[in-house]
Amino acid sequence: MEHTSLLERILRGVALTLVVIFFMFPIVWIFMMSFQTNETILRIPPQLVFEPTLANYTALITGKLTTMSGTLDIAFMRNLWNSVFLSTTSVAVALLLGVPAAYAFARHKFRGSEDIAFTLLSFRFAPALLVLLPLTLYFQKLGLANTYIGLIWVYQLICLPLILWIVRGYFEDIPADIEYAYRIAGHSWFATFRKIALPLAGPGIAAAGLLAFIFAWNNFVFALVLASADKQPVTVGALAFITSSGIQYGQISAAIVLSITPTLALALYAQRYLVEGLSLGAVKG
Amino acid sequence: MTAVTVQRNRPSGFRISKRVLPYVLSLPALLVCIGILIPFFTSVVYSFQRYRLSQPWARQFNWGENYLNFFTDPKFWNTLEISLLYAGITVLLELLLGLGIAMLLQKRTTLNNFISIMLLMPLMTAPALAALMWKLMTNPGFGVLSYLASLIGLQDFRWASSPSTALFTVVLVDIWVYTPFIMILLLAGLRSLPTQPFEAAALDGVPRSFVFFRITLPMLTPYILTATLFRLLDSIQQFDIIYAMTQGGPGDTLTVFQVEAYLNFFQSTNVGRSAALMIILWAITYFLSNIFIKNWLRLRERARGLA
Amino acid sequence: MASLELKNIVKRYKSQTVLDNLSLTVADGETLVLFGPSGAGKTVLLRLVAGVIDPDEGKILIGGEDMTDVDAEFRGVGMAFQNFALFPHMSAFDNIATPLEARHSSQSTIKAGVESVAKLLKIGHVLSHKPRALSNGQKQRTALARALVGAPPLLLLDDPLRNVDAKLRFEMRLELPRLLADRGATVVYVTQDYKEAMALGDRIAVMSQGVVRQLGTPEQIYREPANIEIARLFGDPTINLLDVKPARDGKGVYVGLSNVQVHLPAAYETAVGRDCVIGLRPEALSFVDAGAPGAIPVTVEAETPLNEKIVTLVRTVRGREILVSRPAGAPGQAEGKAHIAIDSKSALLFDQASGERIGSKNVVSLRNGEAA
Repeated sequence: MEHTSLLERILRGVALTLVVIFFMFPIVWIFMMSFQTNETILRIPPQLVFEPTLANYTALITGKLTTMSGTLDIAFMRNLWNSVFLSTTSVAVALLLGVPAAYAFARHKFRGSEDIAFTLLSFRFAPALLVLLPLTLYFQKLGLANTYIGLIWVYQLICLPLILWIVRGYFEDIPADIEYAYRIAGHSWFATFRKIALPLAGPGIAAAGLLAFIFAWNNFVFALVLASADKQPVTVGALAFITSSGIQYGQISAAIVLSITPTLALALYAQRYLVEGLSLGAVKG
Repeated sequence: MTAVTVQRNRPSGFRISKRVLPYVLSLPALLVCIGILIPFFTSVVYSFQRYRLSQPWARQFNWGENYLNFFTDPKFWNTLEISLLYAGITVLLELLLGLGIAMLLQKRTTLNNFISIMLLMPLMTAPALAALMWKLMTNPGFGVLSYLASLIGLQDFRWASSPSTALFTVVLVDIWVYTPFIMILLLAGLRSLPTQPFEAAALDGVPRSFVFFRITLPMLTPYILTATLFRLLDSIQQFDIIYAMTQGGPGDTLTVFQVEAYLNFFQSTNVGRSAALMIILWAITYFLSNIFIKNWLRLRERARGLA
Repeated sequence: MASLELKNIVKRYKSQTVLDNLSLTVADGETLVLFGPSGAGKTVLLRLVAGVIDPDEGKILIGGEDMTDVDAEFRGVGMAFQNFALFPHMSAFDNIATPLEARHSSQSTIKAGVESVAKLLKIGHVLSHKPRALSNGQKQRTALARALVGAPPLLLLDDPLRNVDAKLRFEMRLELPRLLADRGATVVYVTQDYKEAMALGDRIAVMSQGVVRQLGTPEQIYREPANIEIARLFGDPTINLLDVKPARDGKGVYVGLSNVQVHLPAAYETAVGRDCVIGLRPEALSFVDAGAPGAIPVTVEAETPLNEKIVTLVRTVRGREILVSRPAGAPGQAEGKAHIAIDSKSALLFDQASGERIGSKNVVSLRNGEAA
């Protein structure tokens, strides 16, 4: 590798620059748009230098958008709150259900355990609408249509397999002897689970939780099918916002920025675990 | 030595037998499992019925009719074609790009690590929101990409709103979102490869192309396979990007499986056809996921071994 | 204090039988060493006793009480693991304290208990460290302290010296017997090191392939091994094994070694005419003058000091290699021609086909049987 020629180094540099521009440009551009007034946005050619304004964000946060034709109500903060609530609760539920099951799968090879684990995994790869479309009909009968409970339940489709498979791997990495030693010392299985297994798998559980949160947050189709406006998260809400607000591009950009910032921040925070999580433990980062 | 009184804990209170314990622990997850299997089987049943939400009274079993109709239904063949085309193009391009970028970033330098973390950002952007971002950028009125296209002579480039370029546009968004996925998997794979074969080849003055095709690629194959199948499984089911960008349009240019099923269900309220479409898509993904899981398990075992 | 009784234990993993109808009794206060190659089932047996895995068949009695279905935390045993199995997120103090905490002992009792056992094992100064900051020797002592601190009536030690360096192993081999004797506990000790087995065991159970092949005092195992395999495992340098076919003449049973007739005790009468293997411990051989009775001519090939012994490799006229050992300091033998004599009373005779030792009342296969 030491024998790289100057030409090659230049080519590599150019290639990397192009790569960075292609992948970063949309985010940077939207970020810039969100601080521009509509007038600046509509100017051609597009402006790189402009006077930043926070008006778009204030409009979103206050929920009042004043236009020439009057005042428009924006429900975007509601969507943002829905995203926070749905993602957090879904992950909490998935952790509550998934971590004990992951422990059982990792430690006790009981009859049918692999079947259950693989069935759950296969949900990760099955078309979402296959389950969602009949569910809309069921949910209407059960009164779960357009409820947080119904949505959180469906969100388990994303969160549970993820948590189950990642956390199971972390539990399997704890030598069984360590847990045996604690049991032999006179502690119950529950104490062993709480004082030994959970702390030792802690980083893995946290990482799985963060990833599940990101996936839940980014989900679109579940809420599109099962929720109406007041329960919709940002992914669906932003789409509706675009159609309803017409040409308020500055606010739309600001809404997108607010919607993607939480997951981007979490991803940067947890990037060490992302490789492992995204591949369900098949590739160590 | 201080005398510690010999004593033993005695079983007391509520105890769960160790044979039952694992079942108790996994029961809630199992119930969720069942709760998801029920609608799945309902879908199977629907797919064998004539069932329109607008005509609930006409609901009855027509057995294979929904499926048989597909053979003579050009819309179905369009769906199949566009789904396979979309999955094929996106995965192939993402694989080539992802491999290329991974190789550019292979050396562990601060800059490379920083760039690889930056590249995670598109992947962590919700695909539906990513589609909206690109929609804004390709807006014919003020979109920066439309402006850039006009600079290179494409005066009236209509991006997603023209049937001839709609596929190109959604593929572009898919590439933007998912190339980093393949990139980080292959980067992890590349960095985990043993260094000896490469050092030996460098010492022997083996040509770089030979090293790439005879050493790098074969050793990377399990990672490439896992990443490709993973993406293929997702891509053939793509909904978010296409729906958020064009709702399957213009016309039926982009009515891939899930979009078509969604429109069938909510616009034409044809539950039977919608379910049959989903079952066919499920059969395809089931086939792919079986190959995938085998390969993935092998890679996972190896990753556990490395840990 | 407690005795341990295992009755007809069977343990299978998938199709493989790891323990095959094994029965064993350990008396109150006794130290029993489980000795055998890896894969013999020793560790599995220990875990069954501890209660962390369950037998497929059979019963486990501790102190006369049936513990087969009792969970590990209620069995009141102490165990030290080969890989130490320390809790990586706890300090050495907290590691050692776990058995006392399980009993809800008061803070002062815990502190006193941990400190006294730590002092005994000379790790008082590292109690605040996490396991990763401990040396291997300190880890091993911490693990041992954790097993001992609750003064369990039954102590299970799974090859605790396996992963420590030679010097420490030597020290601990001297220190452990006293430590265990002081405790008065019943001990089951697993090892693959025959010296450890000899040094620590009141009795030794030699295991292979899930079966106890021989059970006896170290002395018995050494002097009267049940079969060739066991004879080979115990003793350093290893026993000399030569193919022979015993015959009879006017003076009794003899075997021919390099054309010299070596007479054996009358007990070997049954071996006459059978294909046998004679086992000669290197220390049962000695150099003698050419004229001595039963002197066998050999060529001295090489000499190696081994601990407190000197081992000489000699070759018989028929080309067979034999090891002879003598205490260090005893007069040696120059290279070249020499003669050796055999202490025929200590010679062991094995059946060539079965490998079992011939003519001993101790020759009982312990398979399927109670070995008390």
